Amino acid sequence: MELKVTSVSKTYKNGVRALDNVSLTIPLGMYGLLGPNGAGKTTLMRTLATLQEPDGGSIHLGGIDVLKQKDEVRRCLGYLPQEFGVYPRISAEDMLSHLALLKGVTNSRERKELVAAMLRRCNLYDVRKKALTGFSGGMRQRFGIAQALIGSPRLLIVDEPTAGLDPGERNRFYNLLAEVGEQVIVILSTHIVEDVMDLCTKMAIIHEGKVLYEGDPQTAISQLSGRIWKRSIEKSELAQYEQSHQVVSNKLVGGRPFLHVFSPQSPGDGFLPTEPDLEDVFFTKIRNWN
Amino acid sequence: MLWHIVWFEIRYWLRSYMLWIFFLLIALAIFLAVGTDYVTVGFALSNTYHNAPYVIENYYAIMGLLTLLMATAFVNSAAIRDFHFNTSQIVFSTRLKKRDFLLGRFAGATLVSVIPMLGVSLGILLAKYMPWVDPERWGAVYWTAHLKSIYVFAIPNALFMAALLFAVAVLLRNEIVSFAAALFVTVGYIVGQALTQDIRHEKAAAILDPFGIRTFDMFTKYWTVGEKNSVSAGLSGLLLWNRLLWLGVALAIFAFAYWRFDFSEKRSRRAAIQPESQTAVAPGAAAIPAAGLHDSPWAKLIASLRIHMFGMLRSTFFIVIMIAALANCIPSIALGANEGYGVQTLPVTYWIVDIIRGTLYLFIVIVITYYAGILVWKDRDERMDEIVDAAPTPEWISYVSRIATLIVMVMLVQCVALLSGVIVQAWHHYHRFQFGLYADELLVRDLSLFIFLAVLAFFIHTLAPNKYVGYFAYIAYLVFAAFAWRPLNVATLMVQFPARPNVIYSDFFRDLPYRLAWNWFTLYWLFFSALLTVAAVMFWPRGKQDRWRDRRRVARGRFRRGWQFAAALSLIAFVATGSWIYYNTKILHPLPGPLDAERRQADYEKTYKRFEKQPQPRVRNVKYEIDIFPQQRNMKMRGQEVIYNPLSTPLQEVHFSLDRNYDVDVSIPGAALDKDDKRLAYRIYKFTSPLQPGENRTMQFTVTSKNRGFENELSSTDIMPNGSFFNNTVAPVIGYDPGRQLDDAVKRRKYGLKEVDLMPALERNCTEDCRDHYLLGHSDWVEVESTISTSPTQIAIAPGWLVREWQENGRRYFQYKLDHPSLNFYSFLSADYQVARENWNGIEFEVYYLKEHPWNVPRMMNSMKESFAYYTKNFGPYAHKEARIIEFPRVASFAQAFPGTMPYSERIGFIANINKPDDIDFVTYVVAHEMAHQWWAHQVVGAYMEGATFLSESLAQYSALMVMEKQYGRDMMRKFLSYEMDNYLRSRGRETMKERPLLTVEANQGYIHYRKASVVLYYLKEMIGEDAVNRALRKVIQEYAYQPPPYPTSYVLEDALREQTPPQLQYLIKDLFDDITVFSNRTLDAKAEKRNDGKYEVSIQVEAHKYKADPQGNETEIPVNDYIDIGAFAKPAPGKQYGDTLYRQRVHIAQTSSKFTFVTDKLPDKAGIDPFALLIDRVPDDNTKPVEMVSSTARRF
Repeated sequence: MELKVTSVSKTYKNGVRALDNVSLTIPLGMYGLLGPNGAGKTTLMRTLATLQEPDGGSIHLGGIDVLKQKDEVRRCLGYLPQEFGVYPRISAEDMLSHLALLKGVTNSRERKELVAAMLRRCNLYDVRKKALTGFSGGMRQRFGIAQALIGSPRLLIVDEPTAGLDPGERNRFYNLLAEVGEQVIVILSTHIVEDVMDLCTKMAIIHEGKVLYEGDPQTAISQLSGRIWKRSIEKSELAQYEQSHQVVSNKLVGGRPFLHVFSPQSPGDGFLPTEPDLEDVFFTKIRNWN
Repeated sequence: MLWHIVWFEIRYWLRSYMLWIFFLLIALAIFLAVGTDYVTVGFALSNTYHNAPYVIENYYAIMGLLTLLMATAFVNSAAIRDFHFNTSQIVFSTRLKKRDFLLGRFAGATLVSVIPMLGVSLGILLAKYMPWVDPERWGAVYWTAHLKSIYVFAIPNALFMAALLFAVAVLLRNEIVSFAAALFVTVGYIVGQALTQDIRHEKAAAILDPFGIRTFDMFTKYWTVGEKNSVSAGLSGLLLWNRLLWLGVALAIFAFAYWRFDFSEKRSRRAAIQPESQTAVAPGAAAIPAAGLHDSPWAKLIASLRIHMFGMLRSTFFIVIMIAALANCIPSIALGANEGYGVQTLPVTYWIVDIIRGTLYLFIVIVITYYAGILVWKDRDERMDEIVDAAPTPEWISYVSRIATLIVMVMLVQCVALLSGVIVQAWHHYHRFQFGLYADELLVRDLSLFIFLAVLAFFIHTLAPNKYVGYFAYIAYLVFAAFAWRPLNVATLMVQFPARPNVIYSDFFRDLPYRLAWNWFTLYWLFFSALLTVAAVMFWPRGKQDRWRDRRRVARGRFRRGWQFAAALSLIAFVATGSWIYYNTKILHPLPGPLDAERRQADYEKTYKRFEKQPQPRVRNVKYEIDIFPQQRNMKMRGQEVIYNPLSTPLQEVHFSLDRNYDVDVSIPGAALDKDDKRLAYRIYKFTSPLQPGENRTMQFTVTSKNRGFENELSSTDIMPNGSFFNNTVAPVIGYDPGRQLDDAVKRRKYGLKEVDLMPALERNCTEDCRDHYLLGHSDWVEVESTISTSPTQIAIAPGWLVREWQENGRRYFQYKLDHPSLNFYSFLSADYQVARENWNGIEFEVYYLKEHPWNVPRMMNSMKESFAYYTKNFGPYAHKEARIIEFPRVASFAQAFPGTMPYSERIGFIANINKPDDIDFVTYVVAHEMAHQWWAHQVVGAYMEGATFLSESLAQYSALMVMEKQYGRDMMRKFLSYEMDNYLRSRGRETMKERPLLTVEANQGYIHYRKASVVLYYLKEMIGEDAVNRALRKVIQEYAYQPPPYPTSYVLEDALREQTPPQLQYLIKDLFDDITVFSNRTLDAKAEKRNDGKYEVSIQVEAHKYKADPQGNETEIPVNDYIDIGAFAKPAPGKQYGDTLYRQRVHIAQTSSKFTFVTDKLPDKAGIDPFALLIDRVPDDNTKPVEMVSSTARRF
């Protein structure tokens, strides 16, 4: 089974073109959707999750026409939205049980076990009786993960899932994803490059509604090999370097700016060659440097 | 720092929607209460201006109680917010001082609690400018009253509530406990009100009322209209003391809370959610069990229903509003159950249902309005939408689970009210629980309306681009539906979703005459609702569609075969029922617009008023043949009416006013139809051979009712499946009938009519002007014979004695004949009656009643006989062979005397509840009154002139009082008299015209010719003696009973009474009848001392003032020179209202202050001046005072 997105476009009422002729083929396994804020990731995710109508194009999940057979899609969908709230005055356990039921777990004994197991996995079992509204950001995010995973989805869409999680929680979540991700399609949208690097076998980079790259991360990195150069500079020199070079990134290392620049040949100026990473791919792609 | 906290608190709430919703709710309730006639908040508006200072202050006082629960939300939050949100450690670790914190929060919460009450001002100020209000009922804006209300009521009440709730909150730190406390105070207050309702504890209750409601009542008890319109109560007298007392209490409570408050958290272990423990189960340790997935929509529906219901049940707003609703409803049931329509009645089910409707439904409509928005927007507001919408749940589950939640909640609240009603009925030992009727009225008739409203609200919110537009559109629709159709002159309910025809339940016919129309309209709106529901489900918001185009596309996708089928079916059914309703209501029956009827009335007056004085033939006798068909609700009346010319010149024309509900056919020998105005139901016949003086002619008429199918609203209640009741006025009425004119002053102005005519001025020696009696109708004393038939299970009744009864063609026939010529004013009835019959002194005494209402029949029978005995002995012979009381359905609520028959509404005397010995026996009283009319009105009737009702209504009141006196004793008369006096004094404060003396009373001034007359005539009887009064009355009867014109005027009665009054009391005639005389008598001091012989020497110091009032109620003091009683009473026995009379003496009082000393045998409890309240006294309650015992030894030293 694979998810095939063909020429999907979407323009919002305010004129923003969120998706521009997007075509993707998403196989089983973890799929990373990388893009800066406002790239159109969330629009794409919502469209895949049957929550938004595109202006044109088609989406197929195996034999299911996602845009027409919404209910078929929802039956096998797990979705963690980028932002979500919860009903007031309701406990984590009750809410999760309710959502499990909406997903079709109607046998109450099964549901009870499933909810309990899921709460344990997401480390919420101790607070299962507490009102969700009192949860911290991280706890709430874990609840979101739990509800997305419940009911064994075959298509799992997670939008910025690690926001608000501490590193330990993040790792645990990735392990969880990796565990289920072998048999199902997992689409992970993020603007954090390491997430994709660590987890995904396939990825796409989108920016301003367009797909800039689709493929596996390693290929993308190897394409860039030999074209990324590094050096550290003084703060005062930064503006000057940005003028004269195609600066991919600048980070502070030991309090001094440390630059990666893109250049097919050695840019001189004391720049040394470096192995590109996915972040370099990401930034060069969205700046359209080749 | 203090001010910073106060200001922070206020700003915090100013930003919250709850404050503004409460504010707008109160504004809306008051707006509706003063701006429309449909809503009552606390008290019914009288004839004062709707924005009178009195009204403003009264609403502010009442709002103190109603905002208690709202204030709980603010105060509670202010007090314990920091514990609740776990910010206490941050807040309390600052340099904040306890004083600043507590005082600041308290002051802030108090001020915020005042804000919702300001809604009163907004509502009243806005309502004044609404186009539909009658400007006559509105005075200038009276800002002082608003201001005074705020500092006399709003702020002190808020302070008291805040102090109390703040104390509870900071000491217990539990939201539920706070609400429980508020509820406890509300209910306790209302119950306390009931317990202290007794007039004797009035003053104590007024002082002790924490909200000042009773205080204000007491303060303004006998204010005249003028005072209510122009004076506002400030901080003085009783009000000042009350406010000071409760301010003190508030401060004491706050001081206590302040003393006990502690910053530390030990009291509240509101478990904060701890971060996960380190020993959490390691990820991956537990396998996720597999679970089968099923579509099962019903399980999903039930689960959704459950989650929404719990959400609603746990929401503070819902709890507050429902507690407020039930706090308004349940005490009303408990207190009002046995006070139906102003008198002590049995708590019959339809009355309880009426109370529930009046007190609960405004809140239910508010809940529907508010929660429709909340529920439709719930997922989006809570940002849960993406998760829920991505679940494989069909849209209809979301829709149905939410709307069902709302409906179930409403139903639960109704059931609580229903249950309270049943409990209250049982409490009053009323065991006819009509569960079927409860269910029918509340859970079918009313709940279906709520469902329609909910469907509409859901539909609007589904399409609305945001919640606020949704609210606005829905409320705008409700306002439009309530107010727009009348001005638009649209009568058909077919466009007024969700309106249906009115239904009146009666034990006679249940809802039968109304049911057909109601059922069809309900079906019609049901199908309409089905269409709205399909549309709402198709457009149900799901996901993040920001464009209409997308939503339409999604809707098209959802609109699959099943839905198409449902929609088509609903549409066809809607159109089909609509067509059938249209055929019945619009084609089978005329359907005039609401304005058409009044326009017709105005045109009737404009066109034909000029004929009012034109001479007409008079009625000599009438023979009726009437066939009533109860099941078909039809009737056919054939009549032969002999008319004659009473004048000395020939008559050329005869005019008739007809009843529009009937087809009328008239034929008069020697006369031809000259004009037939069908629209105004007026006909003119020209005599081809003029009617000569004294000449008789027999006209024939046929009157046929034309009921078929069903109507938009039932237009006539004359003929019912059981309980038909109609007057002879359904037959053609000779001449112009002023009773058909518009009488509402505003409408008259609107149609350019001048003010309605008052009765002609009283003349002393009148002949020509007294040719008509005040019931009019171109007739004097007529003879009547009737043959009346009905269905075999019913008894039909016409005036006179029953000549014979027989069955023919499966119908039951009765023939009646009037024993004595009588006023041309009588009724016909038919129903399935039980009859209580007694022959006594040659007269048949009969009570015709429903088998469900046997309770007061013996009492009625007894009263008829007692009345008969007293009246025949003292006034003159009774003219008929029968006296009958006949029950009729509650489509009207009066008792009325016709010759020998007295129809009496099922909803007054028959369900009266007179079980406690102290209850005023209204049944006996009313029957005695109606019986008295057999002399006063049906034998002696006043000329059409001012004071006419003095001869009928006033004398009927006096006669009834005498019957009561014979039955209950002279000492007990004060019970009736104080009721009458209270009514008179309160009513004169609401007079819109001028208050008249009794002698020239207008026919519509009931509070004078009934209430004042009772007191005044009874006082006269006390002064000149029963025999003297009755001699005078006998003389009036002898001279005027059944005499041809000219008819007597009120002078005849006054002169007869004057003749019987001894010279030294002649001043009374002027005081009582010619003037408006008011006393202010009171006892300043009452002491008693036990004598050696065991008797008591009582000394009282009293004050007497006498005033003459002008028609506007302005009073001038005049010297007192009157005979007034003094007296003393013993302590009432337990459970009794009055103690034995120990002393009663009439003394002459000619100065303001007097002292009296007298001796009683037993220990006196109360003593004073005019102890039986015989004189009209502005404050009757201070006439006596509790007697203070002084020991004789103490006095010696």
